[in-house]
Parts: sequence; structure tokens; C-alpha cells
Amino acid sequence: MNPKQFYKLLLFIFLIPMLSSCFEVIEEITMRNNGTGDVILTINLSQSKTKVASVMLLDSVQGYKVPSKQKIQQELGEAVAYLKKSEGISNVKSTSDFNNYIATISFTFKDVSNINNITKNILAQQKIKAANTSSYSFNKATKTFTRKYQAVATAKTEFNKLKSKDKAVFNGANYTSIYRFESPVISTTNSASNLSKSKKAVMLKSSIMDLINGKINVSNQIQLSK
Amino acid sequence: MEKLTFPIKYSYLNNMKKILIAIPLLFLAKLNYAQDLVKKIPANAFTVATIKGDNVFKLMFVKDFNESFVGKKLLTETSKSLDKNFTSIEDFGINLENNMYYFNQLSDSITYNCFLIPIKDATKFENLVNDKDKKIRTDGDVKTMILPDSTGLIKWNNRMMYFVTGSIRSSFFADSAKSAKYGIKEIRYQNNYDETAMVDGVATVTTDSAMVSTAEPMVEVIAPPAAEGWTVYPPINKQTINKSKAGTKKNPKKKAAKKSTAKKKSAVKPKKTTRTRKSDINVPADDNFTTTGSEADSVATAISADDQYDEYQKERAEQDARKKQLAFVWMSAQADKIFNSNYESIENNKSYSASLDNKAIAELWVSSIQDAYNSIAPEFGTYGRSGILKGYGSLNAKLYMDKTSFRISTGLELAKEQADAYKKIMNRKLNKKFLKYVNSDKAIGFMGYSIDTKAYLEEFPKLMKQTYGSFLGKNMEEEIELGTDLFSLLLDEEAVSQVIKGDALFVINGLSTKDVTYTTYDYDDDYNRKEVTKTKKETLPDFLFMFSSEDNRLMNKLIKYGINKNYVTVNDNIYKIEEKKSPVDIYFMIKDGIVFFGNSFAELQSISNNSFNSAISKTHKNLLAKNNFSFLFNAKNLVGKVPTEEIGGEETAKKFNETLGKMGNVYMKSNPVKGNVVSADISAEIPNGHENALKYLFSLIENAAK
Repeated sequence: MNPKQFYKLLLFIFLIPMLSSCFEVIEEITMRNNGTGDVILTINLSQSKTKVASVMLLDSVQGYKVPSKQKIQQELGEAVAYLKKSEGISNVKSTSDFNNYIATISFTFKDVSNINNITKNILAQQKIKAANTSSYSFNKATKTFTRKYQAVATAKTEFNKLKSKDKAVFNGANYTSIYRFESPVISTTNSASNLSKSKKAVMLKSSIMDLINGKINVSNQIQLSK
Repeated sequence: MEKLTFPIKYSYLNNMKKILIAIPLLFLAKLNYAQDLVKKIPANAFTVATIKGDNVFKLMFVKDFNESFVGKKLLTETSKSLDKNFTSIEDFGINLENNMYYFNQLSDSITYNCFLIPIKDATKFENLVNDKDKKIRTDGDVKTMILPDSTGLIKWNNRMMYFVTGSIRSSFFADSAKSAKYGIKEIRYQNNYDETAMVDGVATVTTDSAMVSTAEPMVEVIAPPAAEGWTVYPPINKQTINKSKAGTKKNPKKKAAKKSTAKKKSAVKPKKTTRTRKSDINVPADDNFTTTGSEADSVATAISADDQYDEYQKERAEQDARKKQLAFVWMSAQADKIFNSNYESIENNKSYSASLDNKAIAELWVSSIQDAYNSIAPEFGTYGRSGILKGYGSLNAKLYMDKTSFRISTGLELAKEQADAYKKIMNRKLNKKFLKYVNSDKAIGFMGYSIDTKAYLEEFPKLMKQTYGSFLGKNMEEEIELGTDLFSLLLDEEAVSQVIKGDALFVINGLSTKDVTYTTYDYDDDYNRKEVTKTKKETLPDFLFMFSSEDNRLMNKLIKYGINKNYVTVNDNIYKIEEKKSPVDIYFMIKDGIVFFGNSFAELQSISNNSFNSAISKTHKNLLAKNNFSFLFNAKNLVGKVPTEEIGGEETAKKFNETLGKMGNVYMKSNPVKGNVVSADISAEIPNGHENALKYLFSLIENAAK
């Protein structure tokens, strides 16, 4: 994903709704003990589909240009192409459903840190100096999965610069992260996260507003049984 | 009765009384009349805009204005920037009870933008504009200040202030014959300099003191072309003022006020005044050019051939400066005329005077839309053709504010043919049956329009031809004629007008809540996600669109086709359009010669089985039934109707509802064609709790600025 595409994707999220809307972003990582794993990223705008469909009929809304279906598909295709070229990434797929407005990107990684490079590259291309605000690592020896996250201070200030109308877009938006493992989880450091009944998955739900404002931290260190 | 009994005596006395009363009254009236600066606006002004001080300050006292947010801001900003202390707008010295005017004058060579402001206290006004760096010249009671860079000038006396800026039109000086006349030439390399002499006359006009001392007779030679058609009637005696520079001779017949001005001007004026008699001021006389030319001969010979290239570049810059100077000379002359001569004023323009209304707060009048286009057309080069928009005359707009509302009323004058065409087209009223389907208690808004389709189709080609005909060029006329005929031949106007009669109504009768399905996820014990479909409530406006149609054969064929192709499904005589892209369902049906479209099945059903709850208010009924075009937006019916969670949280919802609650009804309507004038009104009611629209406007500005 080049910066321009990234920006457009962001815009697309901005645009979606007049007043407010509900949408969810889901990040799923399935870790295998050998360090490899799968990622599925989902954006689901289904709850706002009436609004999205209305907006799609317009040229622009609140000053942002509305991308066409073709444009969105093209951008998604380019994102896939970028991922395919990335180190350690394979099996890249994307889906888009324009009836329910759901899009996904999925891929397999050799090492979970491969994802960090992608984020890093995007950030580098965007010339953002917020070094490593978010990173993933998996220590095969200790069987520790670590997600580091630090609320980007600039994100909050940038967000506050938005018009209140545009801010409202995020009011009903949710972020969910799910990490699944082959071995049961012994402990997690983030008290906001939940452990599944099978003890093999950890979920964290948060509103995107809290994430931007730094009210919630998604950092977590997950210790698996050896 | 008494009069009858003592006819002679009483009538005599009565008359005397009347005369005695009338004289001071007349005097007063005359005074008032004379005070209005409209008299100073030349008859050929192209645009006139007026702010009616008395009407404005009736709504808001000067004291209130000073204390208002806007007033305070204005006063503190002005004080700050001028390093002075103003506590009231009265400190500006402007007469706030009289009309202030803006007007412009167009010609092929220059456009003047002018302001005429009544003055109450010249000393105060002077204090406002005075500045250490600016020089004020005094000619008797008339004072003149030139703007930096000579882009404009301000002239004032005890009664009025006149501000003018002028801009030369580049298209005019592209014509070398014309520009040479004014001492401007098109500069090309290898140009010979024979004509430099002519140019020099103008070049000597220095920017600073251009108007009087140095310019000498040249100023007058290059009389402003804007004066075309602006007949100047200089007092005959003025012409006796001789060429003596000092102008020592005083003109005994002139008013004291004007006398000294005239005197000082006399250094400049002599030739002008004589010329005025001959040729109405605007034709530059050649003999004058030759005189100045010979004076400047030495300059011309001084230029050596070797320096030509450098000179060429210098010349280019100089030419621009000259144009600017020329503009200034013209401006000065124009300003002098405003102060010192008598001419026909815009008051005598019928279209202008007819556009006025005492109650308006502000007015705008544009003499001719057609001319407005034609005047800018040359600037478009080959794309701009004159003759377009033929038949569109003057345009006027008036702003009203009162205790309950704002209103803007606009009018456009048409040529008779056009007006007749519009009359024919607008000769239809909205289908009365439509009115049954408006529920005023719930309606958020509606828009109705009615035209006579048949007349429209018949008149349309003619109107197009008239409006855009010349755009396509003269030799295209036959083709246009042919196209027009073809259009009429192909279309059976009568038949079309049976299918679409030409009246339609769009109404939003409130909001309704619908269940909408969406996709989300559930997670199992392993947090594996499972797609599930859930439903949620969504509040959407119920729109209803209807138009009259007497011939449904075509519609029925279309429906049949749609059903066969699965584009349309039918339920209970109500058709549904199967279109996935549409964010809402769209239904339609035909009943009683009306075609209905809507997004609420229930609403269409109620129309179908005659159970629609009709409740149109009298105002709404009048608005819709009496006008060819009407529009209403009633925000209040929206307050609290949209669930908080759908607006995006309580805070947003509160703001949203507050804003809507503050809005009164907004409506628009077209008026019937009166004479040759088509007109329309836009009004916005103000919410309760505000004294009048102006004060409400001020409070809005204040809130917006916070």
C-alpha cells in the first residue's frame, strides 16, 4: 500500500457517513508455534450500508471525494500487489462485498515481525517519524507473544483538527483484535483483553475513539504454556 | 359644507393655508430629496446597489449596533488599524440615516467602481481617512485624497463622499488604432518611435498630483469614454472661465460651494468645457494631440537606434504605467464630473425607479443581463460572442428584514416576446389533488412546480434560439431553424403533454423507522468468528413524488417491460423497483391520473386505499396552489425525530436538534409574470425570541464567530 492509497483508504473511512455511522475494524492473527501465522484484516461497514450506499451515489461529501466502486477495488488490488512483494508475506487475498460493504485482506507470514515491516514502510513512505508505535513479536523459545502499542500523540492532535462533523464519523466505530494460538494461554498483561473458553484465543474490543484518544492501550504480552 | 356656503372667502383662505403649509413641507421634501445621493448616480450606471441606512437603523439603533459583537469588532479593528479611538460608528462621520450607494459604469475602455456615501460630519470623516502618509488636497469645500499607487481616489465635501477606482480593459488597448488615440501603443520590437511624442503628453501626468497641476490640457483631451451617453450639462457661464491657470476669475453665478472647486479646476478645465459644448466630451480632438506632439518632439529624437532593444523592454513597462495613469486621469475627470456638473441621473431610468421599494433594506439593480454578458464577452476572445442572452433585461434584488423574517425578492425583466413565452409556459396550476397528500403537521419540506408542458415544448426551441442563437454564429441560423422544426416535428407536443402534464410535487411527510439488516460477527469458544445477520432500526425520511399524467399507455408498457425483465415487482398494485444500488427501496403506482413515487410502502398503500391522512395547512395550500414554483423547508418538524444513536451520540444530537430548533420555515416561490417581469421570493422566518431579523442575523454572526 503506497502512501497515497493509504491516505485514500483513510479518506474512504472518513467519508463513509454523514453524521455518524457504525463500522468495525477487525484484526485477526492466528499464530502457530513455529512462528508462522495468518492475518485477516476486515473492515465492515454493513451497519451503515444505507448511508454508504447514499454516499456512493454522490460525488463528494463533506468536502471529500467519494471513490467509485471500481476505484476502491483498484486500490484494494494495489494493496494486495504491494503485500505480495513484501518480505515474508505470502498467500495474499482480498475480498470486497459491495452489497454489505465489507472488505477483507488476508495473508500468511513467515514471522509475525514481517507485519511490523509493512507498518514501518507505510509510515516511512508517509514520512511519519512515529517510530514503532505498534509492533508484534513472537519468541519461539519462551512462547511469548508481544503486541506493543503506544497511542500516537500526533494522531490525537491531527484528529482534534478535524471538523466535529468529520469526527462524528468515528463515534460508533469499533476495533477488535483477536489473537489465536496453538497452545493455551497462561497469562495476559492487558486487563481489558478476554481469554476464550478454550484458552487458546485472546480478544480485545475497543472503540476507535478511545484508541485515538489514547484512553485504551492495546499493548499486550501473552504467555503461552510451554 | 362651509366651503359651499362661503365659497369665495373660504376657498381663498383655505388655499392660502394650504400654500403656507405646503411651502415648508415642500422645502423639507426637497431638502430630503436633495440629500439623497441617487441624484449623483449617472443615468448610464450599469449596476446600482443601495443600503438604506434609515431602514437598517430602524431595526437596530446605532447604540445597539455599537454594542453588538459585529459593531464592537468593527470599531476596535478600525481603531487598531488606524491607531485612533472610535467608540461609535457615528465617529466615522457618515450619515447613517441616508442611503449609501455603490454603482459601476462600463465602457469599452474602462470600468469604474464607485461608492457614494452620505456624510454627516466631514471633520469626523476626515479623521477616519486621514493619515500622515496621505496627502489631502482641498479645492474649496471639496477634498480629494489619492489612493496609494493611484488606483483610486476619494473625494468628499460636507454632504457626500465619493470613492472611485477604475480598471482599464485590456481588450480595448489591444486595438492599436484606439490605443494610439490615447497615447498607448502596442509594443513590439522594431517598433518605430515616431509616435512617442504623442504618448508623452500622457506620460507627463504624474501619478501623485495628476489631476490638476501638471496634466494641463491633456487631461481634458483624453476625456473618459465612459462618458458616452452620459450627457454633461455644464453651466454655461463656466465656459467663460478662461485659460488663465490661476483661475482668478470667479464665477459669480455659481453656488459658493462649487465656485472654488471650479476655480481651481479651471487650470484644467478650459478646453474641456469648450469641447463639451461641441461634442459631448468624449471625442478626443486631434488638434490637441498635434500640439502636445510637437512639444515632445525632442524626446522622440533623443532615442538612438542602438538603444532600441533596451528601450523596447522599458517601453513595455512604461506602457503599462501609462495605461494606469490614463485610468487615473479618467477617474479624476469622472470624479470631478460627479461633484461639479449636472447630468441626467439614474432616477430617470424607468427600470431602475420601478425596481425600488421603500421598505427594502438593501437593493441591487443591474441594468441589463444581456449587456452584462456582452460587455464581458470580448474578454472571452473567440468564445465570447455578443448577442447571447438576447431578451434578458434588467435584474433587481431587494432584501427585506422585519420582525418575523428575512426576505429576498428578485425580478428579471424580459423582452416582450420572452415574457409572453413565459406567460404561456407558466399558465398552469398545480393539480389540486396533489394537495391531499401533504401532511403539514409532519412535513419536513416540499417542492412543487407546474408548467404547461405543451407550451413549454412549443416555446422551448424559440427561447433557445433567442438565447443562444447568436452563440452559434449568424450563418448557423438556418440550421437552428431546421433543428427547431425537427424538434417540433419529432415531438408531438400535445401527446407528450398528456403523458407528463407538467406539474409535480415532491414532499417529505416526516420520518419513519424501518428495520434494516446488517452483517456482523459472533465468536465461538475459540473466538472464531461467525458471520451473523442482525437487524437495527433506521430512521429515514419518507419521500413522495407525484406528477400528473393523463395518458398512461407508455407508463403501462414500461411497467410491463420492467416486470418481464425482473426490474420491477408488483404487490397490491404497487410496484417496487428492484435496484440493488439504491440505498432505499423505491415504490411507485398510478392512481387518478397521478404517478406516485415513494420509499414508504405504507404511505403508497394508504394512498391506494384512500386512507391517507391528509392535513394540509392553509399557508402550505396557498403556497403550493398559487405559485408555479414553491419550496418549503420546515426544520422544526425534524427536531427530536432522529434517534440520538443515529446522529452519533448525545452531544451531537443535542447540537443537531438545537440548530434545527433555531431555524424557522424557509420558503421560496415564484410570482406570476407581471408585465414583462418574472420574479421570485425567498424568505426565512426567524425563530421566536428575537426582536427582528437584523438583530437575529447579528446574533448568528456572533455565535458563528465564537
